Amino acid sequence: MRHTIRFTGVGGQGVLLAGEIMAAAKIKMGGHGLKTATYTSQVRGGATVVDITLDDNEIFYPYANEGEIDFMLSVANVSYQQFKNGVKPGGIIVVEPNLVHPTEEDRQKWIIVEIPIITIAKEEVGNVITQSVVALGITNEFTGVLDPETLKEVMLSKVPKKVHEVNNKAWALGIQYAKEAKAKIGM
Amino acid sequence: MAREVISTGNELSALGAFDAGCMFFGGYPITPSSEVMHEMSDLLPTVGGKFIQMEDEIAGISVALGASMAGTKSMTATSGPGISLKAEQIGLAFIAEVPLVIVNVMRGGPSTGLPTRVSQADIGQAQYPTHGDYASITLCAGSLEECYTQTVRGFNLAERYMTPVFVLLDETVGHMHGKAVLPDLEEVKASIVTRKRFDGKPEDYRPYDVPMNEAAVLNPMFEGYRFHFTGLHHGPTGFPTEDAAQCQFNIERLVGKINTVAAQNDGLDDEADYEEFMMEDAEVCMIAYGSISRGAKEAVVKLRNDGIKAGLFRPIVLWPSPEKKLKEIGDKYKKIFVTELNMGQYLKEIERVTGRRDFGTLHKANGRPIAPLEMVAKVKEMF
Repeated sequence: MRHTIRFTGVGGQGVLLAGEIMAAAKIKMGGHGLKTATYTSQVRGGATVVDITLDDNEIFYPYANEGEIDFMLSVANVSYQQFKNGVKPGGIIVVEPNLVHPTEEDRQKWIIVEIPIITIAKEEVGNVITQSVVALGITNEFTGVLDPETLKEVMLSKVPKKVHEVNNKAWALGIQYAKEAKAKIGM
Repeated sequence: MAREVISTGNELSALGAFDAGCMFFGGYPITPSSEVMHEMSDLLPTVGGKFIQMEDEIAGISVALGASMAGTKSMTATSGPGISLKAEQIGLAFIAEVPLVIVNVMRGGPSTGLPTRVSQADIGQAQYPTHGDYASITLCAGSLEECYTQTVRGFNLAERYMTPVFVLLDETVGHMHGKAVLPDLEEVKASIVTRKRFDGKPEDYRPYDVPMNEAAVLNPMFEGYRFHFTGLHHGPTGFPTEDAAQCQFNIERLVGKINTVAAQNDGLDDEADYEEFMMEDAEVCMIAYGSISRGAKEAVVKLRNDGIKAGLFRPIVLWPSPEKKLKEIGDKYKKIFVTELNMGQYLKEIERVTGRRDFGTLHKANGRPIAPLEMVAKVKEMF
């Protein structure tokens, strides 16, 4: 079974690392995971898209096939607009509502879930950098593809020990917000 | 024991170089190849190797060449624009027969082009990166594993044939992050080739006095074996000459030591020059290399699900091209489909070898990968 997940943001938001963590967790679970990223030559502010393919079998084409993405998470409008059409009709798109503005048409086509990822990281966790870990918690709660403990373990292995606590908090908040959002839409 | 790692193509290329015995890296950072350099800067100092970031691309290859002249396995890594800048020194490496591995992680061109985006448009450049006559060895990695194994192979071929070797990655393969199963380290170490050396009396040493189709025997500098490195045509001891017969012999030998030897021995070494994927019963043969071959493999599977028996031929050694095999394919398969991330640079070689002009094709040059479904649609047009 293949799962394709897309993270979109702008350069500097940490979406690349989040993708690597997901791929690594799937590999740790004995499967195959590939992360590819497409970004622009702007260092910060350019549209960035990360495709994560998770499969029990070998993955050849490393990008998501357009129209086959199960789940997308977006924290920047420019990249949301540019890359949303990769999501299959009826697929889930989690957006940061302060920054991403889906159209009415979008809301018909996909399940759009609004979670203020950056506000959570900034105000509740207290460190904006943890937004990618909040996103990781949300993504896994919605997709259920990866064993949460393995994913968390890989995530912690990628960050310095002194920030483990803050990242644990970000992870837990991501899951909590995703659970609430799921309940709201009856998932 | 095979080693399972989670990494990127660029990092694995660096690890391959390290395991192959590379002890010197000279270069200048450029997207999308910089991580090769970053990784080398971490690895080399751990074993007393030398890493240096120079002031520009030209200086980067120059110091790498100098290190190789001193007998050290040496490399540089860059992208297309860097190769353009290094062209003059690449010529020196060809004519003076200095082994060097040059990793090119391809991005969109020409000029600065599309810095962060994928391309395969340096295939022609790798064949003829500089002026004059010579033959290039160019390997092309299509997977994370191959970023490692083809870099190791690049070092072995460089030392064996005394020539610069290109290892081509592309942005997709270079930055792709996932699982790779690397060969056993002891096996890799056992496969390592080191350049020949002359052990006779220094006064008898004639490094370039070798038979037709054989590589020069260059001892490391500073060991008492006096000879000369030059970009000029040179005689047996490396000092310049314009002797007509010598100059003709030099070039015939430079080309012959690669092309003639590859043709006679069906390749330059015992490793695979290509991969065949579901070719046996195929009614359409797709040809693709590098990262594009990955989408092509998925297209093969999708086409078979739709009832079309497709197969894939993937060259790994691009130059010298696997002519015998390409000719065979040209004779065997009625329908052949070529897809590349350029305007048809390898297609020309396939046309030359097979003598055919009736291929289905899909070429892109906008910095975007080619999706399997795009290939499937194009292949179906051939039926």
